[in-house]
Amino acid sequence: MQMDAIEAAAVLARARQGDSDAFRVLVERHSRNVFRLAFRMTGNEQDAEDVVQESFLRAYRQLGRFESRANFGTWLYRIVVNCSVDLMRARQARQAQARIESLDELDVIPTPAEGPGPERLAQSAEIGARVADAMSGLSPLERAAFTLRHYEGRSIDEISRMLGLRTSATKHSVFRAVRKLRIALAVLK
Amino acid sequence: MTHYTEDDLILYYYGEGRRRGDPSTSSGSPQALWRDDVEHHLETCAACAKAYRALAETLQLVPVIDVPEREESYGLDVWQRIRSRLPEPVVPWWHGWFGWKRLSLAGAAVAIVIGAFVAGRMWPPRAPASPVVAVDPNEAGARVRLAATSDHLDRSERVLLDLMNAEGQTVDLTDQQAWSADLIDSNRLYRDAAARAGDELVANVLDELERSLLEIVHGPSMPKAAELDEVRARVDLAALLFKVRILADELHEREIAPTQPRKIT
Ligand SMILES: [Zn+2]
Repeated sequence: MQMDAIEAAAVLARARQGDSDAFRVLVERHSRNVFRLAFRMTGNEQDAEDVVQESFLRAYRQLGRFESRANFGTWLYRIVVNCSVDLMRARQARQAQARIESLDELDVIPTPAEGPGPERLAQSAEIGARVADAMSGLSPLERAAFTLRHYEGRSIDEISRMLGLRTSATKHSVFRAVRKLRIALAVLK
Repeated sequence: MTHYTEDDLILYYYGEGRRRGDPSTSSGSPQALWRDDVEHHLETCAACAKAYRALAETLQLVPVIDVPEREESYGLDVWQRIRSRLPEPVVPWWHGWFGWKRLSLAGAAVAIVIGAFVAGRMWPPRAPASPVVAVDPNEAGARVRLAATSDHLDRSERVLLDLMNAEGQTVDLTDQQAWSADLIDSNRLYRDAAARAGDELVANVLDELERSLLEIVHGPSMPKAAELDEVRARVDLAALLFKVRILADELHEREIAPTQPRKIT
């Protein structure tokens, strides 16, 4: 769905006044992006679906506190990150099991020239296991900052706005995450 | 020759930093990472080029997470799942008069909470362990407690953020320590009031918050980098910043439409 900036602002203004039809437009527009981030944060489909619903419900209840000058997507992502961390901590035990299962869903970046051979696949499973292990060792801020930078391609400035941190603190979270991943993957090289 | 650090190279790998001549770079800070300079350096310095290749190889190994596909109609599905759960639009009860009264309200809250605290101390319940009534029968009292607690959480979030954001060779936390000491006093009162109201969620977060505030107060005023990192890591690992934020948001929501306290799952 394409909306120009003026239309988007009008929809947002109506939603903020409690117009649920206008809010529906926002849900339809942002749901797939929200799901993608929620999945990358939680690593699990069911948890991601829960985060999607919880995030929109929270967003609706908090719309009155959204500052219209801010970017709605950034504001919504912040809620998604908060909900993801909340849910992951509430379900840490279940998460440990789910992460083992979700290893099957991890894949390496395919080389354009040729498909992965059996050796490559075995290695990718090991890489997947090591990365998943390293990711589970990241703190909530490290995981959020790294996911937004590495997987979502968000800039440090944007991530800082989402996490409510200064850019230097955001950078340090990314640096620590990268260091932990490098240690986890160093043995493979 | 000054070499680039691993941190610089990570930023460069992720496309951070600016190009000279880019119109948006005029306000760049002196420490700005100039992509042109890094590029030129990597072409001429074997050591940095090697370090960069190693970094890039590792980060390229980090697998792409294969996100399950969602149809075009997914947004509509989500809408249908949540629409019946959206609360009716409510006009905030404080609409129009709350702004300037908020301060006196917070004062009233402290008085009520202190009253409850003192009463609890002076006249402890004599009957052993009768189950605590979970909901404050007095809705106005509940709202006052929620408003005051959410303000308290907003203030605590600012202290935690100061801690997470502190940078520089020498960090001076004297102000944050004084601030934390004040917050600890009110934190205990709000936690006690929450426990009395059967609001476990609030009581538990305030409990964790107190531990971090105590750590700040009793820690060094001018922490060394390693000491500061340790405190920060503990706050981060406990996801305290996220918890305080989520709870503050939730209490702001409950102020508008108070419901039964959420139970911890
Ligand atoms: Zn060099």
